[in-house]
Formats: sequence, C-alpha cells, structure tokens
Amino acid sequence: MKAKKVMALVLAGILTVSAFAGCGENGDPKESGSKSVSENGTVELEVWNCNTGFLPCEKDSELYNFYKELTGVGIIQPYVEWNGGSNYQQQLNLKISAGEMPDLFLPVNGMEADLIKNGALLDLTDILPEKAPHLWESVPEEVWDIVRSYDPTGEGRIYGVPNVRGFTVYSGLIRQDWLDALDLEMPTTQDEFVEVLRAFKEDDPNGNGMADEIPTGGREEAKWMDHLFAMYGLAMQEGAPDWDIYDGELTYAGVTENMKDALQFIRGLYEEGLLDPETLLNDKAGWEGKINSDRVGVCYHWAESATAFSEAMKTATGTEPDWAVLPAISAPGYESFYTTKQVTGLEWVVKNTEDEAVIDAVMKVLDAYGNPDLWDDFYYGIEGMHSEKVNGKLQKKADDKGTQQNLIINPANSLADLEFKVEMFKDMEAADESRTWALDQAIRDLEEVQQYGKVVAGDGMPSSVYEGYPDILNRTLYVEYASKIITGEYDIDKFDEFVEKWYASGGEEVTKAAREWYAKTQ
Amino acid sequence: MAEKLSAVRQSRGRSSESWGHNIKKYWPYYLMVLPGFIYFIIFKFIPMLGSVIAFEDYNIIGGIFNSEWVGLKHFRALFTYEDFHRILRNTMILGFCKTILIFPIPVILSLMLNEVRGLKLKKAIQTAIYIPYFLSWVIVGGLIFDLFGIGGLFNNVRNALGMESILVMQKESWFRPIFVLSSIWKDAGWGTVVYMAAMSGIDPSLYESAAMDGASRFQRMRHITFPLLIPTIITLFLLNIGNFLELGFDQVFNLQTPMTYSVSDIFDTYVYRVGIQQAQYSFTTAVGLFQSVVGLALVLIFNKLSQKTSEGGLW
Repeated sequence: MKAKKVMALVLAGILTVSAFAGCGENGDPKESGSKSVSENGTVELEVWNCNTGFLPCEKDSELYNFYKELTGVGIIQPYVEWNGGSNYQQQLNLKISAGEMPDLFLPVNGMEADLIKNGALLDLTDILPEKAPHLWESVPEEVWDIVRSYDPTGEGRIYGVPNVRGFTVYSGLIRQDWLDALDLEMPTTQDEFVEVLRAFKEDDPNGNGMADEIPTGGREEAKWMDHLFAMYGLAMQEGAPDWDIYDGELTYAGVTENMKDALQFIRGLYEEGLLDPETLLNDKAGWEGKINSDRVGVCYHWAESATAFSEAMKTATGTEPDWAVLPAISAPGYESFYTTKQVTGLEWVVKNTEDEAVIDAVMKVLDAYGNPDLWDDFYYGIEGMHSEKVNGKLQKKADDKGTQQNLIINPANSLADLEFKVEMFKDMEAADESRTWALDQAIRDLEEVQQYGKVVAGDGMPSSVYEGYPDILNRTLYVEYASKIITGEYDIDKFDEFVEKWYASGGEEVTKAAREWYAKTQ
Repeated sequence: MAEKLSAVRQSRGRSSESWGHNIKKYWPYYLMVLPGFIYFIIFKFIPMLGSVIAFEDYNIIGGIFNSEWVGLKHFRALFTYEDFHRILRNTMILGFCKTILIFPIPVILSLMLNEVRGLKLKKAIQTAIYIPYFLSWVIVGGLIFDLFGIGGLFNNVRNALGMESILVMQKESWFRPIFVLSSIWKDAGWGTVVYMAAMSGIDPSLYESAAMDGASRFQRMRHITFPLLIPTIITLFLLNIGNFLELGFDQVFNLQTPMTYSVSDIFDTYVYRVGIQQAQYSFTTAVGLFQSVVGLALVLIFNKLSQKTSEGGLW
C-alpha cells in the first residue's frame, strides 16, 4: 500500500516538474523576444537565411556596419549551419518553439503555412506598398498574386517576399567544340540528336585515342537530365516532375503519357550505351567530375554554369571546352521547352510583432533589398573582404569561408533580372580579360536559352498542396519506377501500374489540392 | 554486504516492515542510489512524457501543451500507409539477418582470436578489425559504391575474368548480401571486445586441468570457453533484440538507391523521408513509439525464454 503511495507521489512529482519544463515552450510568439535598440537609436534585427559556411555577423562587425549604411538597420546573423537546409530547418524550429523566432528569415519546406495559421507571421499586405515601395515595384503583380495564394486561411493576404527569377535559368549544354571537331551540325531533331550522341561515343571527339566518352547522362534519382525529358514537353525541374497543363488540366508531369514516352526514349539511350551507365548512381561530385574531365558531350545545368564548367575543365585537363546551348529539341508529336519557374517559394517572412520600430526597421531592410540601385552593393559586398578593385572596377573575390562574412541579403540571386545577371558577367570580363573566353559562354548561353524557356502552369505552387503525402512530394514512387524503367529492370508497361499506384497513394488528393490552388491564381 | 542485501530482500517480503523503516535503516545505500535515480528521472523518464506528441498534431508554436489532440491518427496513418507491409517486411528481413547472420560473427571471431598464440599477432589482428568501426557509414557507403562502380575493384576483376561489368548497387538481389557483409566488415571486430573481456576472466586452471586430462585445443574451446561465454552472449543478444526494428538509419540510407527501395526501404528511411525532412514530429514519434513497443515485447519474450532454458536472462 505504502509503496503505491510513494509511486503515486513520484509520478505526481514528475508531472509537476515536466509541466514547469514545458512552460518555456508555449510563450506567445507575439510577445517573446525582446528588441534591442542600441544607444544611438539603431534598431537591431536578427536575420536568418542560407549560410553555406561563411562567417556570421555580430554587432559592430564590418558587415554589420556595411548593412547599417545601406539600410539604416543593424543586422545580426548568428551562424546556423545550412547542410542542405535540413539543419537550418531544425535550428529554426527549435528557436521558434522556444519563442525566439528571428525577426526576418527564410522559411523552408513550406513551414510558413503552419506559422501563418498560428498568427506568428506579420501580414505584409498593406504595409509593403506603403513602407517598402521599391520591393513592391520590383516584384511583378502576377507574382504577388501567387504569394497571395500561399495564404492557408484562403483570404489572399501576403505573408512573405517571394524568391523571383524572371528568366530561364536551366539549359541543355552541348560541347560545341566536339561538334566542330567531328564536323557535325547542331542537332535540331531527335534523330539528329541521337546521331550526334552516337558520333560522340564512337568517333573520339576528345581526341585521346580512348573510347572513354560519355555522350550524355545525369545524376541519381533521374535528376539533372531534364534535356531528355524536355523533348516530350515535360515540366520538370532538376529531375523533379513539375505541374503543367496536360489535356486541358493542371496535371503532375510524372504521370502523363509524355512521361511514358520520355522514359521509353531514355531507356533506349541507356540500352545503347549513349547514357552514362552510372547515371542513376552518380552523385553531384561524381557526375561533375566526369563533365570536367573532358568526357561528357551533353549535360543539363544552369546556362551560366558554362563558365564554371569550362574553367574547371581547363584547370583539370588543359582543354578549353565550349559549352553551348542545346536547343530544346522536340520529339515527334511533342513540343519541347526548358521549364522556367519564376517563383521558387518565399525568400523572406517577418515575425509578427506590434512594435512599430521593429516593423519600420524590417521594412527598411526589405525596401533596400528591392531597390535596383543597391543590388550592386549587396552583390559585391565589402571592398577588401568580398571584392576588390581591378582595373578600376569592382570584382568579386574567390569565396573564402574563413575570412568572409555571409552576405545574407542577396537580391542578385533571389530578385534580380537577366539584365543584371548579364551585367555581372560583363563586369567580371572587364576585370580580368583572361577569363573572357569562359565568361562569354555564360553570357551567350544565358541570352540564347531564353527563347526555349516556358513558364509552366505550376510556377509558384506551394509545397502545402502535398501536405499529408510526403511520398508524393519526395517522388519516392516516381524515382523508383523511372529508375527501374530506364535501367531495363522494369518493362515500360509497368509505367501504367505506377500511374495507378501514384493516384491511389495520395496523388488523387494532391492533384485536387493543386488544381484548387491553380484556380485561385487565375 | 551480502547479508545486508539478503536482509533487504527479506524485508520486501514482510509487509510489517515499511519502506520508510527500510530507508532509515539502510539510508547510505539509498543515498548512493539517489544520483543515478535522479539522472534517470530527469534524462530518461521526463523526456519520455514527450512521447505524448505521438497523439497530437504537434506544431512548434503550440508546443506540447497547446497542440491539437488527435488520438491514434498518426498510428492509423502508419498502419494504413500504402507501403506499410513493404517497410515492415524489409525491416523484419534485415532484422533477422542482423540477429541470425551478423550477431554470431563476433562470437566466432573472438573464439578464433582467443586461440591465436603470438601476442603481437593477436594485437595486430585486433587492431585491424577494430578500425572499420570508427569510420562513419557515409564513408563506408562511399567506399562500397566505389568498390562496385564501373572502374571499381569488383568490376575490374570481373572484366579481367572476361565478364561484363555489372552495377550491383542498383540490383535488388544484391542489397541484402551487401548489407550483411558491410555490417560484418564494419562492426564485427568491435563486437569482439566484450567477448574477449569475458574470456580473459575465465579461470586458467580449468584449461590446465583439461589439458592434463588430454583435451585438445578444439575440445577446450568447445567445452570450456564457449559454455562460459553463453551468459555474455545471452545478455548481448537480449540487448540487441530490443532494437530489432531499429536497424540504424545510417547504414541502409547510405547503401540504398531508388532501384533497391523495394528491398531496402525500412522504418528508419521512411521516417526520414516523412518525418525529419518535413518536420512531422508527431508522426515520427508515433513510429518510434511503435518500434520501441515491438522491441520491448521481444525483450520480454526472449528474456522469459532464456530464464526457462538457461540460468537466467537480463533480470
């Protein structure tokens, strides 16, 4: 009897202790986190965004002062390891659950939906046009409409600043110098394309006397070979099937007839040895290693990567390659294009607060971020740390994670247009003429690929449409079937089984949610 | 000491003697236990209460106390998951491989090591087989992919023998053998540590008298070393079986490819996809709870079995 009483007491004790322990976790997000306003009246904000290993930014450090000059606000960024976003997400969740949400931050993996529902984010709908007019103008009206569709309450309020890329970034890339060496024309039909691949494989375009050429290929999970899928009019980004209008309705590209035909074609290439046999095992380093060792004829990447690839190969092998745009080649009966998405999610959301001083400070930062006159400053960072003057022109220094602070406000990557991008490359040329041959490739390719780009209907779709169906979001089923069909493990007819399974395992519901979202943006 | 312990045991049986009296009488012992007791309360039992989020729709703003209570929703989601039978089957098969094929290897290894005469040779072998344990699975996974890639050792040998290259990492039928072999290569050496320690505690006079009676080396191993190892083996086996459904995410994740999902997708990789990547804390907790309950049941069952068949189990 006594023992039971003691046990009861102990249990009660545990519960009390844990109740106290838990108290810290449910503070009101609106009130928690005190604002520090320094003596001279500068408001300080804690800002979180991607940092791939650069130094953090403490109060009164160089970058702190640099940003203060540009925005009038003190910006403090603690070091948060990025690690593909997963570590960042964990740290951020931890902070938020402790009631210490950063003032301004990058949300990841659709986490904003939950935060909005809980009233934790600031409603920007009315204050942005008023207090951050530059930003309001820099983002096209139709993109703001997409942001409105993110509001999970369905009221169409704006809770974040989108990451906008108003031009086509991705492109198939082909070795123009290989074509020239073998006296071949740039392919324009699928048959010609396959002929070119065969020639690359057999006629030793790299001239080393060995049949070590890999005509084309990609990476594990059927990623980074979109140029092959594109032939069938498939919306796709870095290997992830996207959403577009098929048969008159918004549909997941992965379950269309187009996809079946594309897989059939790619399977043929694999069988013939025109696709890297290790395609489905290549990781980033593995595949890019092959590209940069003068063995790959056609690959898929950002158009501007032509420069990086060319310079890397020159360093590694001494060869100066010419990576040209592979036109979007249509398979018979299909209309080819390179998928363009203007909106790639939210770049910034703001902590909900009633403190006017903080709101004003955040708006100052966002206005500067959206001001084209300041984009150069944000891009080049601090002279001496991030860039240096060469021939009288500012030039970015090579990344040095040991000495450079993280340039957290980066409109060049998340807001700027094609013109700005091209200007950047031209500036680099002016600074160092010996790089002209490689930089010219990026400029040429960036401009050339625009004609093949098409903005897909799924542009800007929030990942919340996948809520409850992580396997669809992760495309687990698609990757498994696509990989096995390409390697010949599965017959092409298995594709129909995949479509059925996909719809049955949540595809139905996701499609419905996606179409509802699409209707809202129209 | 022994007397006092037996007194403690006796006093438990007598209802006349209360706990309080007992504590007063043996307070130094209770005092010694106290730090450990507090440690377990704070770091093991209190966090365990966090498992309630398995029954809630946990969100980071609401926390444990203000998230919506959803009962068994996450367990239903797990059991009705399209591929639940697939991940359960894969987990069970790999679990059996672990228990039946991998578990005995350290025992055999340590019995063999025990017979190595030269002390230097023995130490050298031990060091060599310990080393892989200190490599992370990310590295071992990379090594294995390279080993079996085109241009890797495996395919070079095949080519030299006039055979075609074969990419085994994307073949379903090769996944389980590779899982077993890589486990053994990495962990078996380290697993011998406990057994070697147990063997060093065996009374040498047993061997001497057996040798005098004309027992061969093999007979001594068979009739002295092995029987005396059995309690250690059982203890380790029971500790192992508690993690039957928890195979370790690292190894499988670093060895699997989409082409081998059908045999390699297990609870841990599934939880990673669903839970960690998308911060579905409640669901992840539910799966963890399920794995633990199965583990607990297995430990209880096998403990009973071992109590019946041999001298004792874990407790």
